[in-house]
Amino acid sequence: MRSLSTILQHTGRNLLLTWKPQLMTFFAVMLSVLIFSFFYLTHANALHVGAEMGNDLRLVVYLDENPPPALQEEYRSRILKFDRVERIDFVSSQEAYARFAKQLANDSDVLSGVPADFLPPSIEVYPLRSLDSLARIKRFSDYLETLPGALKVQYGKEWIDHFHSFIQLMRIVIVLSGALLIITTTFMVAYTIRLNLFSRRKELELLRLVGATTTYIRMPFLLEGALIGFCGSTAGIVALYLLFRWIKLQFVGPALFSVVPFTFLSWPVTACIMLAATLLCALGSFHSTRPILHL
Amino acid sequence: MHQDLPPPPIIELIKVSKFYPPDVEALSDISFSVAKGEMVYLTGISGAGKTTLIQLISRMEKESKGVLDVAGFDLGKLNHRSIHLLRRKIGVAYQDFKLLPNRNVADNIAISMEVVHQKKSNIAERVRTLLEQLNLGKKYATLAGELSRGEQQRVAIARAVAHHPEILLADEPTGNLDAENTARVMSLFYQLNRQGCTLLIATHDKSLYRVGNRRIMELRGGRLLSAGTPFSTSNIAAPVVKALS
Repeated sequence: MRSLSTILQHTGRNLLLTWKPQLMTFFAVMLSVLIFSFFYLTHANALHVGAEMGNDLRLVVYLDENPPPALQEEYRSRILKFDRVERIDFVSSQEAYARFAKQLANDSDVLSGVPADFLPPSIEVYPLRSLDSLARIKRFSDYLETLPGALKVQYGKEWIDHFHSFIQLMRIVIVLSGALLIITTTFMVAYTIRLNLFSRRKELELLRLVGATTTYIRMPFLLEGALIGFCGSTAGIVALYLLFRWIKLQFVGPALFSVVPFTFLSWPVTACIMLAATLLCALGSFHSTRPILHL
Repeated sequence: MHQDLPPPPIIELIKVSKFYPPDVEALSDISFSVAKGEMVYLTGISGAGKTTLIQLISRMEKESKGVLDVAGFDLGKLNHRSIHLLRRKIGVAYQDFKLLPNRNVADNIAISMEVVHQKKSNIAERVRTLLEQLNLGKKYATLAGELSRGEQQRVAIARAVAHHPEILLADEPTGNLDAENTARVMSLFYQLNRQGCTLLIATHDKSLYRVGNRRIMELRGGRLLSAGTPFSTSNIAAPVVKALS
């Protein structure tokens, strides 16, 4: 208990003595967390939007002839071999004709004289509703085109391609901003602590000479790094929340938000980001305090 | 029978040498031992190697050759992670004081007790007692950087003895003191010695060791010349030294 109070006292003294660089580091960590979590939030919501819009998504494989039941089973097993799906429907030429006629409703007389098998039979594949189902559609479509007897595969190709590109871009941005977060937190904290160590070298030497353990000397610096990481990441997340609220209120009309549920980061994700920032900062401190061992 | 046995050595050096690059030999083949509870003076002119010897014993420096055993620790085998165990048994009054100028006198003294997690009330009491004893009672809250050299020296001594060390190493402890304060410091040293503390005092102030019959070791040019008493400085017959020199 006494050692904890001494360590906390030393940490407080460290923070007071070097508050200017500490403040700079705090802002650097805050900004890094804000940038990273902003892109992460955008990515997560984009996937939500994709999932919502993909609810009615289906791939239609047009076939050259009506498949007999045995071939239908063969098609089914091949499709399921590639990926799990929600549903597979086989539509014969006649069923397609009937559906088309129904759609035409009062104008169905335009079909008079047209043979009932003029439309090609098809397989309707309903992919599983998952967050990245849209991203998988392209690959699924490519696979379905290789099925025997497949003439063409149809889906909202252009829209999905654009969406897929956007998701890919977001992933790259997340990786880059994650790297920025790691570099900023680790290096900035490491250099601030190193500066602190350098300015207090005589005191640390003396502590070592009077019998202080390495942990006794090192702990306040580790705590200091972790504290900057925790406070910086908390401030970053709070700033992101305020930004999220502001965008929701100012930029987008409530109509869109009622259609697509834009949400903030979940508690586990928020906790993970804060924990990662705290640990990275502590790691930066740990690295810079290694020379203490040799005092 | 048991009572006749000499006290065990608490400091023992066997053929210890210290070289600094490129080819400076600070200490050469030093061998001696100091018994537990003994008070020994280490004399010699400036540059004789007194400070280097104290630095070796407190493990501020590592010996180049030889064996050093201090308070039960073989310093040659002592690693960085365990060094605090040795230093908690030793108090060192450094020649350059090593005070923290921007911290007050009480904080400077308390530091050696804080690292062993002593109670705050005990620390405050011990600090006050020592300051009174060394005629610094009114300087409790004064910044160390604002003290005179003599006052700083006494604060450094107070810090060295505050945690009741088993061994006290004092490097020129009275170099900046007047006669009255020298007497106070020596009185404190004798008191510690009576309580069982082993003292090794490096000094070239003859007035300190002229009185009494404490053992005196003389260093010259990095070599141990004698380890006798004030009345027989050339008497090398005293302790283990004779056999090893």
